[in-house]
Amino acid sequence: MSDTTLTRQAATARAAERQGVGGVIYGFLRNIPTWVLWLIVMVWSLPTVGLFVNSFRDRDSQRATGWWSIRPGDLTIDNYDEIFSASASTSLGDSLLNSMSIAIPATLIPIAVAAFAAYGFAWIDFPGRKWLFIGTVSLLAIPLQVALIPLLQLYVGGAHLTLPFIDKTVTIIPDFDLVGTTTAVWLTHTGFALPFAIFLLHNYMSQLPKDLFEAARIDGADHFTIFWRLVLPLSVPVLAAFAIFQFLWTWNDFLIANTMAGTNPDAIPTTILIANLAGDFGRNEHLLPAAGFVQAFVPLVVFFSLQRYFVRGILAGSVKG
Amino acid sequence: MGDVISKVVSTLITVVIAVGASAGLWVGANLVFNQVRRDWSRFNAIAYGVIGFVVGAILSGNRLTAGSGKGDGRLEEFASWVWLPLVIGIASAAVGFALSRIEDPTPRLVIGAVGLGSLGLLSGLLLREEYRPDVDIGPLVGWTVAIAAIGGGISYLRKRPPICGVLIGGAIGWILGAFGSPDLGGGSAAWAAVASLVPAAAIGVRVSMTPIPDRERKARIDQSSRAVIFLGPALLFIFATLVVPAIRTMYLSFLDNDAADFVWFDNYVDTFRDPISWDSSDWTNMFTSWPFIIGVVLLVIFVLVGTYTKRTTGKTVELGSASMAPLVIGGLFLAFGVFTALRGTIVNNLWWVVVVTAFSTGLGLAVAVLADNVKFEKVAKSVIFMPMAISLVGAAVIWRFMYVARDSTKTQTGVMNAVWVGLGKLSTGSGIPTIIVGVLVTIVFLALLMAVARALVTQSYARAVVPGVFAILLGWFVIRYWGIFGGGIGGQKINSAGVVVGDPINFVQDPPYNNFWLMVVLIWIQTGFSMVILSAAIKAVPTELIEAARVDGATPSQIFWRVTLPQISTTIGVVVTTLIVLVMKVYDIVKVMTNGNFGTQVLANDMFQQAFQFTNIGRGASLATLLFLLVLPVMIFNIRRMQKEV
Repeated sequence: MSDTTLTRQAATARAAERQGVGGVIYGFLRNIPTWVLWLIVMVWSLPTVGLFVNSFRDRDSQRATGWWSIRPGDLTIDNYDEIFSASASTSLGDSLLNSMSIAIPATLIPIAVAAFAAYGFAWIDFPGRKWLFIGTVSLLAIPLQVALIPLLQLYVGGAHLTLPFIDKTVTIIPDFDLVGTTTAVWLTHTGFALPFAIFLLHNYMSQLPKDLFEAARIDGADHFTIFWRLVLPLSVPVLAAFAIFQFLWTWNDFLIANTMAGTNPDAIPTTILIANLAGDFGRNEHLLPAAGFVQAFVPLVVFFSLQRYFVRGILAGSVKG
Repeated sequence: MGDVISKVVSTLITVVIAVGASAGLWVGANLVFNQVRRDWSRFNAIAYGVIGFVVGAILSGNRLTAGSGKGDGRLEEFASWVWLPLVIGIASAAVGFALSRIEDPTPRLVIGAVGLGSLGLLSGLLLREEYRPDVDIGPLVGWTVAIAAIGGGISYLRKRPPICGVLIGGAIGWILGAFGSPDLGGGSAAWAAVASLVPAAAIGVRVSMTPIPDRERKARIDQSSRAVIFLGPALLFIFATLVVPAIRTMYLSFLDNDAADFVWFDNYVDTFRDPISWDSSDWTNMFTSWPFIIGVVLLVIFVLVGTYTKRTTGKTVELGSASMAPLVIGGLFLAFGVFTALRGTIVNNLWWVVVVTAFSTGLGLAVAVLADNVKFEKVAKSVIFMPMAISLVGAAVIWRFMYVARDSTKTQTGVMNAVWVGLGKLSTGSGIPTIIVGVLVTIVFLALLMAVARALVTQSYARAVVPGVFAILLGWFVIRYWGIFGGGIGGQKINSAGVVVGDPINFVQDPPYNNFWLMVVLIWIQTGFSMVILSAAIKAVPTELIEAARVDGATPSQIFWRVTLPQISTTIGVVVTTLIVLVMKVYDIVKVMTNGNFGTQVLANDMFQQAFQFTNIGRGASLATLLFLLVLPVMIFNIRRMQKEV
């Protein structure tokens, strides 16, 4: 665009900044973007608000009218009572425990393992380091579906290898009968989480000041001491970021849990329970809002109380530095 | 309650044991290798001892040796199991200690060969009868010579004395030839002893040939051992849960559904021949569909405007130019036209990727810009970001209630249909509300037209684009609303009795646009993701740049298109690639909302059903591989980018 157009536009912009009725209208027009923003915000919160309101309405009113036509007298907590009562197929309490026993180990173990590896990639020199790192991190994009069938076979029957030429079968991993247990789910999560965890922690650890390491090395500290005493305490923010990320991911996961434990009603986490409820063709539909809200409650609490770390994790995972 | 507590306790115990044992192993390994530089003898003794113990434990633990695991009572049983590993461990430790002290080659050779050889002899003598191998000279010689030659070759290539590799290779070859090849259980004790003595002695000779390392070499051992210790656990996990399974999936995709016979590419061919995954029979309908026509019209407008702007600015299209909007919007419309005419799983997947990626990135960018430096910015961003914390299953449930469609005689309980049918009632009604809404919308429409006119008069054509697009949309709305062309807008129809009744849309079940309504759920979630990243990138644009542009008289929109956007282009690339990978794998939403029915099937759900519900392993594996191949270009792109950064 030419210079003359630029100055002309600047002139029209200045001319608009006048007083009186024109000023009021101009001010309103100038604020249109903000109004649009709040409109988007409203639209975005509407579905969740609707779910929340509906969770306090009984079956009949849910089926008769929309959630916006609520009367204060209608409110009831019967739905919550019902989903926590022990009727076998719909009890949320057990599945909440299952979710916990998946999400907690699947968060803690990858942190430890990835912290070692990230330190190794960042500060231990060995041949082929760069390529090994790129190879590891490029697995970030691999679709998990590509690993599911063999992993399920592993949990069902262990891993066996028939040696070529000799024709004898060697058992590499024995059959621990893990299928249908929460252990199978969190083991799978652990493996799948590592590329991202290493990537995230490596980005942070490699930015720590080099002088720190040289000083420690001169004092005679070995890698183990440096890692334990120096790097780990300094990396608490990024460890927290990953922990929140991974906790939300494993708590909310459906695919892996459904593959590894979906067949065992005693081991299913909340997400599968809700999906099963939703698949009932209306029989328990009035319980869905309450169940959905309980399922989302834990991640929402984590999210709103630790949002700063969560955002940091997402940023570090996508933008370098 | 007791049930619950025992469950919690058992989970806790599993985790504590798993974490504790792994941490113990890991710290222990570090402490052992700390001795490399401090005390070589101690390190050698511990290392040899541990290796010896592990070898003994494998022999005894698998009940390969006589007497292991037998005895009255637990203690005796344990003793019968543990004595051999302990003996071998301690003896090996002694050999290791001696080798770390004696420098003279001849005694080293004797200690190594005799020490380890006698341990091999002991194990061979203790071997249970049913595991004693037959004597089978042919394979024995063959394997030994072949693998020894390979070992020698490797040593030669690594510029080491070939004899090192020959010894190790010979030992491995001997074990394979002596134990692997013949039948087990028919041999004599003497031959079993010889068969185990020879490889052990060969390894003994080999270890004795490595001299005691000097300072520099110790430092190198220390360094490389740390690399293994720190990276080992992670790489092992990744290897076992990602790399090997992925390779095996590709292998399985060439087998039939029972994983028995090779069918090569049949699974892939079946997938592409199946009308469920690829159906182009209605492709001619594409050219008569509305989105396609609108898309073509917009692209024609793009060409016209583009040739005009090329004359004035020298470029057909650039960021924020008047020709960009018709290009982008026209392209999207065209995509809708194509994807609604071609049907099938693969088409759906591509449709998902195009739409969700485009809308999430665009909306995320819009919100990031709109919310920048606004009062209560944090609140607005938190609300948009919040769906990220909700599970995809939860989101699907939430939107299921938004999309509820009920019979036209009943009250609509879903927000979308309530609005749609309400609009229909409003536009066909004749009461005061109808007139108020109509007048308001018409005023907004006229205001937009004025904005367009002003932009055209001042010849700043780029500023006419956004109001222009909205004016077209709203103009269509106004025309339909007043009934000037077509019969009103919204969900209403005239029934056989001539009465206007509500006509709800079955968002989830009416193909092909039900796909789009499912995509909306993912857009709702992922907009927050791109907003957070793009907002951070916008805030990271140096203020001096923006100030400089402002001083030069640039308008806010010029600053955005010419300064901010080029500065955050890398970040937009990151968001787009991340979204492409994520959307390609879409599963949960489709599974919960339609389970792939009503023409909404996607690859991931198809794969799950084929592999785990119909037990068509080969077909499922081929679909998983297909998914991988579709993501592969993005992976390669990411690797290229990382190569530059690392």
